[in-house]
Amino acid sequence: MHAQHHFISLVFCLLLWAVGPVHATALVVIVSSERSPAYVEAAEALVSELERRGVSRFDMRQQTALEFKNSGAGSPRLLVALGAQAAQAVAAAQPKFPVLCALLPRTSFEAVLRETGLKSSDQFSALYLDQPLSRQLELVRLALPAAKNIGVLWGPESKSKEPTLKALAATKLLSVVDGSVAGENFLFPQLKKVLAEADVLLALPDQQVFNAQTIQNILLSSFRARVPLVGFSPAYVRAGALLAVFSTPEQIGRQSAALAKDVLLGRGLPATPLYPSSFSVMVNDHVARSLGLSLDTSLLTDRLKSTDSTK
Amino acid sequence: MKPLSIRTRMLLAVLLPVFLIAAMLTAVYLTARMGDMDKAYHQKSQAFMRQLAVSSEYGLFSANVIQLQVLANAAMQESDVVSVTILDDRGRILLKAGQHRFTRFPLLGNTPSTTFDALKGIDLLAYPVFPSVVKLDDLLGTTLSGVAIKPILLGHILVEFSQEALLARERGVLGLGLVVLLLGLLVAGFLALKLGQGVMRPIFSVSDLIKRIGLGEFSARNPVLPNDPLRALQIVLNQTAERLAMSRDDLEQRIRMATEALREQKEEAERATLSKSRFLAAASHDLRQPMHALGMFVARLAQLAHDPQTTGLIKHLESSVHAMQDLLDGLMDISRLDAHAVPVRLSAFPIEDVFEKLRATFALSAQEQKLTFHVRPSQVWVLSDAGLLHRVLINLVDNALRYTQTGGVVVACRRLPGGQKIRLEVWDSGQGISPKHHQAVFAEFFQVGNAERNRTQGMGLGLNIVKRTLKLLGHPMALCSHLGQGTRFSFELPVVAPDLDLLTPQEMAAPAREFEGRQVLLIEDDALALAALESLLASWGCESRCAVGVVQALAHLNRGWVPELIISDYRLPGGDNGIDAIAQVRARLGISPPACLMSGDMNLSLSEASKVAQLTLLHKPVRPAKLRSLVRHLLSEASLS
Repeated sequence: MHAQHHFISLVFCLLLWAVGPVHATALVVIVSSERSPAYVEAAEALVSELERRGVSRFDMRQQTALEFKNSGAGSPRLLVALGAQAAQAVAAAQPKFPVLCALLPRTSFEAVLRETGLKSSDQFSALYLDQPLSRQLELVRLALPAAKNIGVLWGPESKSKEPTLKALAATKLLSVVDGSVAGENFLFPQLKKVLAEADVLLALPDQQVFNAQTIQNILLSSFRARVPLVGFSPAYVRAGALLAVFSTPEQIGRQSAALAKDVLLGRGLPATPLYPSSFSVMVNDHVARSLGLSLDTSLLTDRLKSTDSTK
Repeated sequence: MKPLSIRTRMLLAVLLPVFLIAAMLTAVYLTARMGDMDKAYHQKSQAFMRQLAVSSEYGLFSANVIQLQVLANAAMQESDVVSVTILDDRGRILLKAGQHRFTRFPLLGNTPSTTFDALKGIDLLAYPVFPSVVKLDDLLGTTLSGVAIKPILLGHILVEFSQEALLARERGVLGLGLVVLLLGLLVAGFLALKLGQGVMRPIFSVSDLIKRIGLGEFSARNPVLPNDPLRALQIVLNQTAERLAMSRDDLEQRIRMATEALREQKEEAERATLSKSRFLAAASHDLRQPMHALGMFVARLAQLAHDPQTTGLIKHLESSVHAMQDLLDGLMDISRLDAHAVPVRLSAFPIEDVFEKLRATFALSAQEQKLTFHVRPSQVWVLSDAGLLHRVLINLVDNALRYTQTGGVVVACRRLPGGQKIRLEVWDSGQGISPKHHQAVFAEFFQVGNAERNRTQGMGLGLNIVKRTLKLLGHPMALCSHLGQGTRFSFELPVVAPDLDLLTPQEMAAPAREFEGRQVLLIEDDALALAALESLLASWGCESRCAVGVVQALAHLNRGWVPELIISDYRLPGGDNGIDAIAQVRARLGISPPACLMSGDMNLSLSEASKVAQLTLLHKPVRPAKLRSLVRHLLSEASLS
């Protein structure tokens, strides 16, 4: 009985494949920027979560941003764009169906909106990848209670967050020591200046400041200055940051699935884009030991979750 | 060019390929080794540069000159590093360590560059320094614009590496390679010589054996060893030597036999010659005695008074005796010439002396034959034997007269160009000699146109005697004649300066009984010859006493008789000889009366013996005239002393 069902499903699937993309039948289309592990992981989590929530796998279709550009997505009940490129491609098509952009930083989503002239609404919303500044500040406060001066290096992309951060810091009785990097030539002097006063260096996503080339020397400099660096991704922790709070693609995928289920159930997307509600904390124990710190990852995570305000 | 010895050739045959292979291997090995060293050097310097670039990254990022200085100083500790220069991203020199040797900065780009200064042996490596990239595969780092972050150039490092150490190491390797090559060659040569001996020894032994066989040592053998590589050759060689020895022995045997046969034949021939000679000597001796006696008798008979008819007969008898005596003389001459019993007494004399005798001898007979005979006078002195020369001319003229019917005979001499020699010529206008007989005329008993051997034509011995005599004298002879055109015999003889002291005494004419009352002792074993001699001497007035041997002669002396002259035969009965007999007689007498010997033998030792005994030797048959002149001479000498 069960085998027969599977057989019918297979035949159906083959038929679908044979007649080409049948846009009308797909309830959810997932468009990934590319087929890298992070996107695949996020998409898988999304699909399996939706499946768990009662949506058939055959009602979901996955494609890449390039495939979307070439052949469109038909008319699904919902399109989930994973990644900045996917969001950009989908937005550029001015879709007539709800679109959820996920697995992209806030700056990227805002850039897409600027480019396409769209506005975030229940038809076009987002689930950010980056963490809210409050959560990061809270993590710093929890992990390094002694740290009062938060060092920040602003770049062109992150500069806009300066007022928010400073305001948030003030509420938590923290002061911000910042420097602005206009070009790479000025990175080291600014860094030196910030490190001289800061108790902790909080890295915020900005390609002009923190990238694969600079991170090594920034980490070295901060380590020499015995200033711990708080990153925003596991890679930073692996490279030598003390700790980081972040959402994994899987967490993003699951949260996206919840939002998608809501859409399928007739509720709209949240008009204001959301920060991820589930997150992880990662600590580099070696760095912590070197700095004479003792941090318990799970404890930190729990305390952070309990104090998190975004829920 | 001297050919290479077999040992050298073998050594070459081994060493040349070994050398080529070893040289090739060494070259390949060295090339590979040096390539490896070069590669290692370059890899090392590249690795060093990469390492230095990474190390200096943070120093450049943070413009930390002190840290960079520490790095540079550490780098200078590295071998081969000559200088280190570090420049920032704008090309400013942040620091220098070591004394740099480059004169010009290389172009500084985003890729590493290497400049090699062959003159100084310096590699200048320029390396850009980029920050090390940490893979941050975070989604937050992605940008929508897709603009890749430009690589951030932190600066450059320039390092000079010296290749000196590399070159020294390469030289070391090269030296080692050459040493190994040399050692390999030495070992190969040594092995070649050692192993080659196993081959060389048999070859040398074979060649030695061949050499010995070549020298005739056929008994030479080489031992055949079971492990000899040339065993088959040795066996064949030994067999060859054996066969050669056998064939040589065989040949020697045959030669011995042939030699033996030849020797036997020769001995037989010699025996035959000897017996012939003995026979001839005996025959001529035995002929001589009666002939001698006959001559004496006829001479005696002619002195008696006879009626005209008897006188005529006696004349014929005389001429017959003369002919026989001539024949005997001729035979005796040849016999003596054959036996080299004719002594040659060369002396200087005027040729005219001989010519005069010639005129006296032949004037009458030529007149009788109604032929002209002319001897052209000459004042030349020659070096020759006067007696032999006279005999030669007598023979030639006699011969010429015999074969000339009309015309005449001329004897003349003329000086040859140079004046050192004269040519004596005997011309006749006779029948001439055909060229085909020019050789034959000189043979014994050859007579042209006298097949019936007419006795009046002579014996045919003349020219043979002439030829033999002239040969003995060393006067080259020539014959020029054609049939019907006369004949010219000629021979050459040397001219000498005149010697006026030598003058031949003239023979005096002798009266019939000039030796009246002279006492003569005759010793002769042949009764007939003795009677004839006594009779002849008696006709000259001598009073002779005859003895057949020494005993009889001594018996005459015992009766108190003293001889004035002794004439003895050489061969006497009882093995005695004339020389001893004369000596005994003289000894008995106590004085030495003159004596002479007569003999029918033609042997040379007899002439010598008589010369030693100072006795004149007369050969039988003795002509009465000759005997008479001798007797006269001896008696006059005795009377003078």
